[in-house]
Amino acid sequence: MARLSAEEKIQPHWWTKSLAGAVLGLTFAFAVVGIFAWYGPGGIQAPNKVQFNMWMISPVWLLILSFSFLFRTGMRAVLVLSAANLIAWATFLLLRYSL
Amino acid sequence: MKIRSDILRTYQSIHTWTGITTGLLLFIAFFAGALTMFKSPITQWAVPENHVLPAISPGQYDALVQQATAQFETASNGFTLHFAPHQSLMHHSPMTWYEQGGGRGLSIDNHLRQASFNEEGELVSVANQQNVLGDLIDQLHRTAGIPGKADHEDIGVLVLGVASALYFIALVSGVIFLLPTLVKSFFSLRQKKGANRFWLDTHNLIGITSLPFHLLIAWTVVVFAFHDMLYGGLSLIYGDEPMFERNGGSKQVYSVAELPPVERYFEAVRDMADGYDIVSLSFADLTTPRARLSIEVAGDGKLQRTAETDIIAMHPFTLDVTYSTLSIPENGAFGPLVKSFFALHFGNFANDTGRWIYFLLGMMGAILFYTGNLLWLEKRRQKQAKQSSSVTIMAKLTIGVCLGSVLGVATSILASKWLYLVGVDINPGYINVYYGVFIVSLGFAFWQGAAKSAIALQALIAATCLGVPLTTLIMWWTESEIQWQIASSTLMVDVFALIFAWVFYSLMKKTYHRAYYGGRESIWYVGQRDDAHQAASGHSEWVNK
Repeated sequence: MARLSAEEKIQPHWWTKSLAGAVLGLTFAFAVVGIFAWYGPGGIQAPNKVQFNMWMISPVWLLILSFSFLFRTGMRAVLVLSAANLIAWATFLLLRYSL
Repeated sequence: MKIRSDILRTYQSIHTWTGITTGLLLFIAFFAGALTMFKSPITQWAVPENHVLPAISPGQYDALVQQATAQFETASNGFTLHFAPHQSLMHHSPMTWYEQGGGRGLSIDNHLRQASFNEEGELVSVANQQNVLGDLIDQLHRTAGIPGKADHEDIGVLVLGVASALYFIALVSGVIFLLPTLVKSFFSLRQKKGANRFWLDTHNLIGITSLPFHLLIAWTVVVFAFHDMLYGGLSLIYGDEPMFERNGGSKQVYSVAELPPVERYFEAVRDMADGYDIVSLSFADLTTPRARLSIEVAGDGKLQRTAETDIIAMHPFTLDVTYSTLSIPENGAFGPLVKSFFALHFGNFANDTGRWIYFLLGMMGAILFYTGNLLWLEKRRQKQAKQSSSVTIMAKLTIGVCLGSVLGVATSILASKWLYLVGVDINPGYINVYYGVFIVSLGFAFWQGAAKSAIALQALIAATCLGVPLTTLIMWWTESEIQWQIASSTLMVDVFALIFAWVFYSLMKKTYHRAYYGGRESIWYVGQRDDAHQAASGHSEWVNK
């Protein structure tokens, strides 16, 4: 492994990364679970699926939050997670209102 | 496995911060949670013999219901029937109802009236304050002892929810920065390389071997704490689509005399769920249009929805099923899947074997958090006699909170039978004893320092635990006005108290040695005793390197 220069190393940026992971990670988790809820197995009306959906939000959220600290900078965390949110929510809304 | 050093450093900091902020809360939750695996035997151990009326045969229940509801106004609106063999384990009489209190959630002031038939076939009943020792330990488990409510939710539950989210991150980060050395030092438990290394190996070994359990617990606790908010968010995604079915059911008003014979419920349950026993039938609002029946059923080695049972809700008069937690076609594929998450938290799927495994996992979890705190202290301490205030305060907190809560629970259990004899209100008694002991222990740790208080508190825990079987013996020998049930399950409580006494006595001896003959730079060092020559004779493993 080549030696990394100071800029290439992970910067701490605790607050931005934590906030990005906590907030944007949660909204992303809701979008993913939303797509699963409507278009995953069983559709929206499968019995007891609402409980399963509720259960699935936190693991997605916590995994994103846990790995948010791998972003090199806080700004990157915000940008990448925002983009992920945009894609996930756009997919959800497109499916929901154009199909 | 090779991982970039900046990643390792980042996740080491995360592990340290998430760990040190949550360790104390999680210690209490895990230690008390391990005990809740046996909350029924513990409560049975505490309930006086004359508080539970004799069991009756299945055929006698109908007569019991009719006679009791005719005689007691309070029973006619709702009551619970408890059936053998679960009834004696759950320390219940055949029929119970609340004369005061009742309803959902834990109440320490429920007055329970119990009814049965005596040997002559006459209706007998007693009324007393319901003993909720097991439920109080459960409450401690769910709230870490943090009192108060916000809306209808316990503040302690919400705090533990946040702590569990951090604990999830601590687990992920712990694994990441352990990966490079994992293969090399996984199963090594180096005792001769100094206390620090021993704590580290213990911490890593427990953390890695029980990782799936810990990930599952962290996840389920976050859900338990925040399900209302998560459902709130989901309602936006569901839009106009209803999230939950509403079952209307019959609105007709019936009278208690029209209740079908108990045998009918047994037939209905047999049809729905093969391999399940009925534990109890709880009738509510019988004389209103909202009449309900909730049936608790226990399956041998089945994944179950509540701590010890599955639930079937039906209309008590029409027997229409409105809801159930059984793995039946009506519940689809997702019902059983969700149920398994609950069951994996409660450890109810493998009978007593499962409960013992969960008990051990819970205790190991408590050790994980305790050793985590010790490692933090060892890492931050200066190689000198005088330590920074963050280290001494954290050391005092670790000892005061962890040992204080263990001592609090032990003292509450020890006090139980004596409180009955003195005539104190039992449930408030438990709470006062627990918080009293906890607060005094914490104060003692801050007054005397971590090293000295660790020795004293461990000695007290050992003595208190020893007192539990001694109390049972004394009460059994003497002719006191109250007698207690003696069964294999209650004797288990005594045996375990004895084992705990031995464990804490051994720990106390080790702590004592470290304090007086150990390394001077240790935060656990107190001072040299006059008989210091012993120091040279082979206690070097407690010297910190």
